[in-house]
Amino acid sequence: MHSDSDVSRRAFIKTSAISAVGLGAAARAHAAGSDTIRVGLIGCGGRGAGAVTQVLQCSDRPVKLWAMGDLFEDQLDKCYRMLSQGAAGRYDRDAFESLSPKMDVPKSRRFVGFDAYQGVIDSGVDVVLLTTPPHFRPAHFQAAVQAGKHVFMEKPVAVDPVGIRMVLAAGEAARRKGLTVVAGTQRRHQNHYIDIMKRVRDGAIGEIRAGQCYWNMGFAWDPFKVPQSPDMSDMEWQCRNWFYMTWLSGDHICEQHVHNLDVINWGIGAPPRQVVGMGGRQARTGPAYGNVFDHFACEFEYPGGVRVASMCKQMPGSAYHVCERLVGTEGQSYTDQAVGFIKDQRGNTIYKYEGPNENPYYQEHRVLLESVRQGGAVNEAQNVAESTMCAIIGRMSAYTGRALKWDWAMKASKLDLRPEQYAFGDLPLDPVAVPGKTSLI
Amino acid sequence: MIDQNGTTNLSRRGFMKTAAGVATLATVPTLSSRAYAAGGDKIRVGVIGCGGRGTHDSSRCLAADDNVELVAMGDIFPEQVERCRKTLAQRAPGKVKVTDEMCFSGWDAYKQVLATDIDMVILTTPPHFRPLMLKAAIEAGKHVFMEKPVAVDPVGVRSVIASSELADQKGLTIVAGTQMRRISHLVEAVKRVRDGALGEILGGQCFRLGGGMTGWGPQQRQAEWSDMEWQLRRWLFLTWLSGDFIVEMHVHNLDVMNWAIGSHPVQCVGMGGRQQRTDPKFGDVYDHFAVEYEYPNGVRVSYKGAQQDGIAEPHYQRVVGTKGSAELNFGRAVIKGANAAEIGWNEHDPCLTQHADQMAAIREGKRLNEGRQIAESSLTAIMGRMSAYTGRALKWSWAMKASKLDLTPPAYKFGDLAMPPVAIPGRTRLT
Repeated sequence: MHSDSDVSRRAFIKTSAISAVGLGAAARAHAAGSDTIRVGLIGCGGRGAGAVTQVLQCSDRPVKLWAMGDLFEDQLDKCYRMLSQGAAGRYDRDAFESLSPKMDVPKSRRFVGFDAYQGVIDSGVDVVLLTTPPHFRPAHFQAAVQAGKHVFMEKPVAVDPVGIRMVLAAGEAARRKGLTVVAGTQRRHQNHYIDIMKRVRDGAIGEIRAGQCYWNMGFAWDPFKVPQSPDMSDMEWQCRNWFYMTWLSGDHICEQHVHNLDVINWGIGAPPRQVVGMGGRQARTGPAYGNVFDHFACEFEYPGGVRVASMCKQMPGSAYHVCERLVGTEGQSYTDQAVGFIKDQRGNTIYKYEGPNENPYYQEHRVLLESVRQGGAVNEAQNVAESTMCAIIGRMSAYTGRALKWDWAMKASKLDLRPEQYAFGDLPLDPVAVPGKTSLI
Repeated sequence: MIDQNGTTNLSRRGFMKTAAGVATLATVPTLSSRAYAAGGDKIRVGVIGCGGRGTHDSSRCLAADDNVELVAMGDIFPEQVERCRKTLAQRAPGKVKVTDEMCFSGWDAYKQVLATDIDMVILTTPPHFRPLMLKAAIEAGKHVFMEKPVAVDPVGVRSVIASSELADQKGLTIVAGTQMRRISHLVEAVKRVRDGALGEILGGQCFRLGGGMTGWGPQQRQAEWSDMEWQLRRWLFLTWLSGDFIVEMHVHNLDVMNWAIGSHPVQCVGMGGRQQRTDPKFGDVYDHFAVEYEYPNGVRVSYKGAQQDGIAEPHYQRVVGTKGSAELNFGRAVIKGANAAEIGWNEHDPCLTQHADQMAAIREGKRLNEGRQIAESSLTAIMGRMSAYTGRALKWSWAMKASKLDLTPPAYKFGDLAMPPVAIPGRTRLT
């Protein structure tokens, strides 16, 4: 089946789509459920390797890795080797055996460089996994939708409001085209989260009056593993240490804490209206740590005056605290990666999720593949764009010391962290932000 | 009437003891009905700490009562005493009776002030010295008005609580300079909150973001100043002296939260740093803090404080309940929801009220002791700072009972004193 030429394959997809229209939905290529789904991986780092193993292993239905792309050849090779040979587990990935039977990625479909994503998109894939550093997501997502590809994209999906607008527009285009868009906010596919959030939305804690969410942790990742050697360009060093560059990662409030903010938006059912944030870098202060902060604290105000306190920090030795809480007139909900429960006013646990808890990383890919096959057109673009925007405005407020309104940021902010050109060469890094001095754009 | 100028300490003490005994026999209203039952006797006041706050508090004290006079003054720096005396003489003519012999300076000035025949002392030095001076004042049998905060570390907080208990035993009054507690619209609004106007309390916010205070204090170190003198003159920016701004200033706001909720917190997790005010002349204090305080019953208060120039300046205390919310602010209180109300400022100066209340209590022999309350509010702020400095989550019970943090320097003397390093979460140890 994947020996078909691209032309005949496209014809098949189109035929299926047309025949499915009669069923009432924008069902596409895989309505019959028999065809192999071809997956392209864009971004071959740790999360990319995790996502691709999950999409290949999450179901018994035929799925094949068809193309790979990364900015760096060594990273792509390493990922290819790992997938072929198998690897140990880590926080977001089970250990896996060789995936060679599910891989068909000849050298001609391995793409390297700033344009690698286009090569993957144009290689005859049905689905692309967008797992590069967040900075590139809007452009990659836009290109994928333009080419009619289904998308799995990691969170966050942008690093600035300009990028958010691109993602929202592309998400809308995907909806019009009936494309599936699943985001890597995997809590949305985790049983206890789904259960507790449904109960919250159904009124289990009464009217929501407040909330808290946190991603406070210690060590994140070691920037010293990639020191800038004399022959390494600024651009390369920054891209290899993307986590510490705001223009690439969006800072950790965006890169990581977006998960918790997403749960709050989910529970409340709307994005916030405004934010006041603060933050700084107090422990991670050397140049190796780029220009990100190491702590943020933001207050998001939601409709109805509901205030949510968000905290996130990445400081060695710091107390670990990762969870979300919603406080209502009749109780509180608590969720973290392991548990979800609801307490009444007096602090008694009145409900605890005790059902099965599937690996959410597999579940999100099952949802992706099912939607692609059945033409379900699941589209999570707006949710993840809004949650990402929460994180972005929190960061912007903390960096500048200014209070921000959602509407202003969404419509008027011109912040665009794209460099003048995507090329390996000199690239001075913006200085670390100083509240009250860094200007709001 | 007594002419205090002519009596020795001893004879005055003797009088007070007698008067107290007489009052007890005559009226038996309380244990401590003391010298002023007639309401006519002069209350003789001393002030220790003659900076801006000492000057202001003294002037409010003198304005709050017709029959009060300032008779003794102390400060570590003699020129501060002199400046304060001059200013007060203008602001409270006829009530400043401080002779040259009753002006004291140096490290032992507080002991000398307390050794005079004052009835009451105003403690307005930098917060670091409060526990020590409160203890000395209570032991000397003086009524105390003391500025907030009352300590910079848990060891100091415990000392203040012990001194407050001693004050009760001795029938001495203690009033703290948390004047928000005497603003009439806040008194009324907090009463309504405590009476259930918001239903059950669910949480709150306490925000005080504002300017960097960078113009405060001497900007240049003079050649003859030792390390100790430089730090004392810049005390606001030294954690061992001020407690950092979360303690030094924002104890007011945290005190309002404790007041409205009716309890101190049970634990906290904080963060902070210095991102704008980074010059070494700003000592070792942070310029921003964010702390989540958890109160009994899972009630969480989000506190944020900053001293940075050019930032947004939200400044409010807000309590949220099942039936509404209340903003408890300096200018007015606004209750929203089922029991909506707006209560405005009545233009009464709460800094006068606090002194008037105290002098009335002294005269009537009534118990008035805010020592524990302000110690708890100070510890609320201190534990937030400790959490932010170390990156650790803290329990109240641990901070109150077990923490050994004691910021006292090796010696109180002018000389070398290394500038303490700025705290780094994860590296700065929890003590």
